Amino acid sequence: MRDQRQLFQQLFEKNSKKVYHLCYGYTGDSDSANDLMQETFIKVWQNLDTFRNESQFSTWIYRIAVNTCLSYLRTAKRRTTDELNDNIIENYAEEPSEKQEQIALLYKSISQLDENERIIITMVLDEIPYPEIAEVAGISEGNLRVKIHRIKHKLTEIYNSNERL
Amino acid sequence: MKGFDEIQQLWQGQKPEPNVSFETILQHIKSHRTALTKKLFWQSVAVGTAVLTALWICIVVDFSTWTTYLALAIMVGCIGYYFANQLNDYKDISRNRHLLSKPQDYINYLRAFQQKRNRFNTRSYVVYEICIAVAFALYGIEMYFILPFWTLAGIFIFVVFWFLICHFVFMKQYIKHENMRIEEMIGNLERIKGQFRDR
Repeated sequence: MRDQRQLFQQLFEKNSKKVYHLCYGYTGDSDSANDLMQETFIKVWQNLDTFRNESQFSTWIYRIAVNTCLSYLRTAKRRTTDELNDNIIENYAEEPSEKQEQIALLYKSISQLDENERIIITMVLDEIPYPEIAEVAGISEGNLRVKIHRIKHKLTEIYNSNERL
Repeated sequence: MKGFDEIQQLWQGQKPEPNVSFETILQHIKSHRTALTKKLFWQSVAVGTAVLTALWICIVVDFSTWTTYLALAIMVGCIGYYFANQLNDYKDISRNRHLLSKPQDYINYLRAFQQKRNRFNTRSYVVYEICIAVAFALYGIEMYFILPFWTLAGIFIFVVFWFLICHFVFMKQYIKHENMRIEEMIGNLERIKGQFRDR
């Protein structure tokens, strides 16, 4: 039990920030991201015994996070992208600075991508290795590279267009 | 105009950090477990009470016909069947082992689970309803020898009326609501499944 707690604490400290970014990128809302991150780590705790060392711990955790984000669709009250975007702006309104505005704009741009694109791009932005992302997303590495190329281009376009506006 | 590298630098320099601590998570795990245990406990208590009450009635009350004992056995069987199914599905969805599978497999699991639940709440409910009706009918044989005819007729009409309301009003509403939820969920999940497919 003590070992499990130590292991869990290590996993939490090492991965919580990236999982939070993934959830934030997916939901575009810090409260929901915190809830999803919490739910992810509760599931990690519940399933620690079943971890088989077939993949890295981080891959396993991301996969749980992605599935938690996907099931968020069926449980949470859906909000429109516009509402999400307003929320993003509000979340950053406390410390208005040029950088904060740019980050708010970045999250707004991410929220305009498809669900899977949001998940993939947040992992790319967090510099998760490609093989790991491919495993989490359940697609081949070759296809992932094509997707990433397309998503990067799409995100850059959306961001710049939002910036102009 | 920014390039992707600049966007990535912006992302990595961002401030937003989770405001949930490790201790909070542990606290939630404890409360989650307690809630789960409580729910299972109260479900078990309810079923146990119903079964014990049925057994107690069997022992204490001296029924004159064997059909009443059969009716009680059917009732206990129905309650047991319903409880076993609920418990099984509840454990299945709580176990979370499917979370370890790839997203598409997880989506498939969720779809299968929802369809199973839908079948249980529709088709199995009809069987459940028939069994309960048979149990009431069997008990009615005993009542036929005890109650005045018009009282029995009144009870019979009331029970039939109640069954009809449950079947054609409450259950129809429930099924409609459940189907709407499933269709919405399947629609969402199909969309995501399509996005993850290798292209």
